[in-house]
Amino acid sequence: MGKVLIKGKNFLGFEIEIKAEDINKIKKELDIVISSSAHFLKNTIVTLKLTEKNKLYAKDVIKFLNEKDIDINAVVVANKKNCAADVPIIETRNIHLLAEREGEQAATFKGNLRNGQTIRVDGDLIVAGNVNSNSYIYATGNIFVLGNLDGIPHAGYGGNNEAVIFAFSMNPPQIRIGDFITRSPEEGVKIKNRNAAFSEVAYVSEGNIVISTYEEWLKLKR
Amino acid sequence: MSGKVLTITSGKGGVGKSTSSANLALGLALSGKKVVTIDLDIGLRNLDMILGLENRIVYDVVNVVEKACKINQALIKDKRTDNLFLIAAAQTRDKSAVTSEQIIGLTNELKKDFDYVILDSPAGIESGFRNAMLPADEIIIVTTPEISAVRDADRVIGILESNDKTQVSLIINRINPTLVKKGDMMSKDDVLQVLSIPLIGVVPEDSNIVSYTNIGEPSVLHKDSNSGAAYKNIVKRILGEDVPFMEITEEKKGFLQSIINFFKE
Repeated sequence: MGKVLIKGKNFLGFEIEIKAEDINKIKKELDIVISSSAHFLKNTIVTLKLTEKNKLYAKDVIKFLNEKDIDINAVVVANKKNCAADVPIIETRNIHLLAEREGEQAATFKGNLRNGQTIRVDGDLIVAGNVNSNSYIYATGNIFVLGNLDGIPHAGYGGNNEAVIFAFSMNPPQIRIGDFITRSPEEGVKIKNRNAAFSEVAYVSEGNIVISTYEEWLKLKR
Repeated sequence: MSGKVLTITSGKGGVGKSTSSANLALGLALSGKKVVTIDLDIGLRNLDMILGLENRIVYDVVNVVEKACKINQALIKDKRTDNLFLIAAAQTRDKSAVTSEQIIGLTNELKKDFDYVILDSPAGIESGFRNAMLPADEIIIVTTPEISAVRDADRVIGILESNDKTQVSLIINRINPTLVKKGDMMSKDDVLQVLSIPLIGVVPEDSNIVSYTNIGEPSVLHKDSNSGAAYKNIVKRILGEDVPFMEITEEKKGFLQSIINFFKE
């Protein structure tokens, strides 16, 4: 008991936490847990939390769940190393920001935002997927992109200069926060190595938009 | 019989839509399926030439939808197989000569007699593209590993998603392993990371395509062609076979060849 858990998270939908270490045992336990709760795992954001031991099975577990009609949006592990999956892999230390905001109202968009598409929301916006080039996202609050951010974000739309933008991989041509705008340096690599990417946060400091790694930003905030 | 409508599209021009349409249509026909392919690039027709059938056009798709002729009269039979037919685009008209309702009506008729109706879409996201996309049961997006082509493909996928077209897969065309290795070209994985739709084929760069097009013989007819082999695999995947993706590597250099090269230098 307790080797596979499904936890409700107000902010991120649901998390399936797996502590079992043997793949057959995992599948067996998943089967039991899912049979009673499959209905609320559909059409919501589902993350998969794995331990250092069972993260090797990430692909198998996702495939197994896909066959049961449950899509996994991201895998959460303590350390990305040796973990492979076709969905974003998030390190636990990069998700505190999101956990902190649990319970607050936020609009969620699940899927990839494509070239030419736009989202506008009042309040915070979470995109569980990639924001591709030439797409636009506007939020009067903060923006969290659980994926690659290649489009143009405008957080604090309408004048909130306190808003922040968070992304697992930040590579937008422009960043707009409140009344400020900045553009990406024009020299540099076009084909960025995604695997080397780490979570970053953009915010306004002394009248400029600054980008820090998530960890540095956490330190500054304290 | 109720066939499937398969649309080949891309957004950007010149990435190999018509070449892919010709190869997949011919490949499916050679595998025993009954196939008709319609060139919807009205005003800029090419598919007839790539298939080597340009001399045989009497009636075209505009004549059919305007009911100037019967569908059967516009079906041009391929010279290599009895299973493949082409309906050519009109060259003297433009995209506004047909409506999407007309194309849906035409494909519904053809589905009764054919296993596959392959629509070769024009470039762009305007009416010609909509005419090709709306009747589709399945859609194949063709892109090259260039940022401009990939972005246009992304735009097209967005439009398809908002039209509830969910059966969408991807061909990455003209991959050049030498450039990928040097880091000057996006790799298969780079493209998939942006587009995140299922991959149905990777076609290597093939300098012979130009001459195949000139003589009207798609590469699936050439046994020694790399691109032909890739298209044959895509045909199998369309037919539901589970074919592993070929590892596209630099030109084959056997042990003997490397010794020969060593002495040449």
